[in-house]
Amino acid sequence: MDIAIAGIGHTPPVRRSPKNIRHLAIEAIQAALDDAGLEGHDIDGVITDGVIMPHTVPREFIAAQFGMTRSFDGGVSFGGAGVAAAPELAKLAIGARKARTVLFYFGVDWGSRASGPYGFHDMYPAKMAFEKPYGFNAQPSYFALWARRYMHEYGMTDADLAVVAISHREHALRNPLAQARTPMTLASYRAARMIAEPLRVPDCCLISDGVGAFIMTSLERARDLRQPAVKVLGSSFASEAWSGDDIFTQQAEIFRVTGAQAACRSALAEAGITLADIDFAELYDCFTISVLMQLEDLGFCARGESPDFVRERGIGVDGALPVNTHGGLLSHSYLLGVEHMIEAVRQLRGAAGAAQLAKADIGLVGGWSIPDYGVCVLGRDAR
Amino acid sequence: MKSTEPEFAGHFEQLAQGRLCFPYCAACQRFHWYPMPLCPHCRADGWQWRGINGSGTLYSWTEIHHAFDARYTGALPYIVALIEFPQAPGIRLVANLVGTSSMGLAIGQAVSADFSQVLAGSGPLVFRAHAVAAS
Repeated sequence: MDIAIAGIGHTPPVRRSPKNIRHLAIEAIQAALDDAGLEGHDIDGVITDGVIMPHTVPREFIAAQFGMTRSFDGGVSFGGAGVAAAPELAKLAIGARKARTVLFYFGVDWGSRASGPYGFHDMYPAKMAFEKPYGFNAQPSYFALWARRYMHEYGMTDADLAVVAISHREHALRNPLAQARTPMTLASYRAARMIAEPLRVPDCCLISDGVGAFIMTSLERARDLRQPAVKVLGSSFASEAWSGDDIFTQQAEIFRVTGAQAACRSALAEAGITLADIDFAELYDCFTISVLMQLEDLGFCARGESPDFVRERGIGVDGALPVNTHGGLLSHSYLLGVEHMIEAVRQLRGAAGAAQLAKADIGLVGGWSIPDYGVCVLGRDAR
Repeated sequence: MKSTEPEFAGHFEQLAQGRLCFPYCAACQRFHWYPMPLCPHCRADGWQWRGINGSGTLYSWTEIHHAFDARYTGALPYIVALIEFPQAPGIRLVANLVGTSSMGLAIGQAVSADFSQVLAGSGPLVFRAHAVAAS
């Protein structure tokens, strides 16, 4: 059975919100329901990630608040991969007639939380024992090691990273809601404070408070709802035999994106298309180097070629492959990719404002929760 | 270093004696890192700690300029290195590199363990860089 995204909602991107995470979730979910023209009692399946939200805004809290009697509930991965793989789970449930209308929501309050994103990895015992005592306890430091190694193997320079950062910022300047809207040049990029060499402030994602939500139902039913339906053409989760403890330091080729190739192949096969059919991509840009790695492992270019790809083919709105048309995690907000799915839906509805692409028929959303990866391919409903 | 994971303890006990040890599985003759209850390569139970000399090479490094944790505010900047060892193929160790600036480092450079802090119980294991490798 074909399914579609029928409603989207999110809170305004902000570093610190005066609202707590439960209030933010309620606001985002209400917005998604309103967007679809549905009521809470229309939802009979709820999906979120399996690690973060259960401790902050559990499914049953949302159900109780909105009056949702469910026949299906699920938790998938954590953060980004879960966002992009949620439609896979919803499609299984809706296709099996276990649910008719499925809500997905996800968000973080890492802007307000004292430990921010960095405390998240304290859940990994080996990282606590063998890494934190050396001051190696935060995401920028892992990606810095990867970026340095990538520079060594493929000759990448900070100017290549700057191309990615500047492209994302240019997109954010088209989006009045984006958190980071100061224009960026190579000179201002290079003048920015170093965080973990070679990564500077503009190489690292923002930190945000916020929640996003989307509603999935059968394509047939979505066509009767308030908004233009956006088809889920394919959605897939993939992961490999690594843990959060060892993936950051022990993989033979350290910057390979585990799960990306498998999830992408599976989602494209489900959609019956190839990468050449993709008009734009919303990729998990936790760091500038992350975008380059994913372009390679998803198959848009070969290993080592992503710096040339972003420079010559282009990832801006006028480029060969527009990437993160809202500004991404680098310049829009850091809600771990739920905003990427929402932006893809906006593009496919033709409702992306000043960042609207001339051609937006099929978009790819890549979600990353190392070592997990999720891919969702969405399409305009051209019936 | 206290940990709830019993399979971690041997590393620190050996380190306090000036020995750098990693889990080695006699069944499949491979190292693994970090320590897991079963060998992750062959699922054998009962791997052993195997000591190596502290000589390694720099796989990558980063100089940290931001205090992600307030306890490091006074230590900035500091260098975190990812080190490979000829005597323990297939694994990499995270440790601090001291006595050098980031500018003077190169991937592939020889480094060696300095056990003085761990022997004195005054801090974690550190590494020191040798002259830049000709590569």
